[in-house]
Amino acid sequence: MKYSPRKIKTNVNISHTSPAKDFFLLLSGIFCVIIIVYFILGLLVNVAVARLPVQVEEGLGRVFKQFYENAKNDEESRKLQGLLDKLVTGFPEEGRAFRVYLVENEMVNAVALPGGNIVVFTGLMKEVEAEEEISFVLAHELGHFANRDHLKGLGRGLILWVLSAGFLGYDNSVTALAGQSLMGVQMKFSQAQETKADLFALELMSEQFGTVAGAVAFMGKISAKEGKGMLAYYFSSHPHPEKRVKVIQDEIRLKGYNTKGSKK
Amino acid sequence: MDQLIFLIILVGVGYTAGTIAEKRHYKSIEKRENKFLKLSVVTLKDAFDKESPILRTRLVQGSAVISIDYFKRILAGLRNIVGGEVKSYETLVDRARREATLRMKEMAWDADIILNLRIETSAIGNSANRKKTIGSIEAIAYGTAITYKK
Repeated sequence: MKYSPRKIKTNVNISHTSPAKDFFLLLSGIFCVIIIVYFILGLLVNVAVARLPVQVEEGLGRVFKQFYENAKNDEESRKLQGLLDKLVTGFPEEGRAFRVYLVENEMVNAVALPGGNIVVFTGLMKEVEAEEEISFVLAHELGHFANRDHLKGLGRGLILWVLSAGFLGYDNSVTALAGQSLMGVQMKFSQAQETKADLFALELMSEQFGTVAGAVAFMGKISAKEGKGMLAYYFSSHPHPEKRVKVIQDEIRLKGYNTKGSKK
Repeated sequence: MDQLIFLIILVGVGYTAGTIAEKRHYKSIEKRENKFLKLSVVTLKDAFDKESPILRTRLVQGSAVISIDYFKRILAGLRNIVGGEVKSYETLVDRARREATLRMKEMAWDADIILNLRIETSAIGNSANRKKTIGSIEAIAYGTAITYKK
């Protein structure tokens, strides 16, 4: 047997495609799938949340107990509760209990937590003096309850966490971040959700107090916020202030709400 | 976030360093393969010239360990999700086998033919066969070298 050596010209054992191209193709493909799954599950969450019994929501609310454990129990907090109780009589769902907690914190913010709990930080109370203005904030948070925005946010956060844990692993940094935001106080809502809550608040205020002066005053502060920058915290978790102001002004004009005068 | 940046840096370093190392390795492999082109290696056991008197026969072997880089590992991880050919590992295995065969030839430098070539591959290192760690691949090539009397 004669052996004649020959050079091998092409390597058949390796793929001659660019690995970088492969990498980006795979990455973007998987990313697209995750986004689609997240979107579909998000829609399912909206459907499920609308049917979630109040008892379940109250059970969920206990998870967030740490946020209002150290709530103040002084005259100011009782005054807040009084304002809320007055607003709640006009709440569409009957037999729901709402509690407002005043928590010592520099943050200029108020948060709606599952289970009908509203947390107002003392930072916000310092900025907002008039009762009507704080009523508007409370009514706005009630609007989130009426639309179940906080539960939608929670459900989506949970989906994000599950997806991240599934794809990237439980001890991944992205998963940890998703887990943190799940428990985070500052749940972000979309512009549409904020606007809907604003409109709900306007209607509720007009019904209960016969005036939306508080909303006008509060929005006046929003307009002046560039100069002061004091309410910036509130808008970091309640975005799109300019558009909201405009929508509120349009709505007041359209429905002919009373912007002056005292309470009923 | 900082962990994500760290990951991107690792992937970038893995890609650049891995590509450079691979190119250089292939260059060296081809050069040495040409050098040993005359020394035939076969998988048959009795493909030698039975008429020629044999000076000596001996076992020759060569082994090589090649490590995977971070970019290849991530790419293979992504591939694990959707399935299909793991192309990023192909060059790794190819390089290890050819390098091992070359080293075996280098050991049998004075031989006329190497019979009964066998190549085996295994994962190696602390992290072999463990998830989320960088592994290496070892290839060992061995055969029987025959040198004729001149």
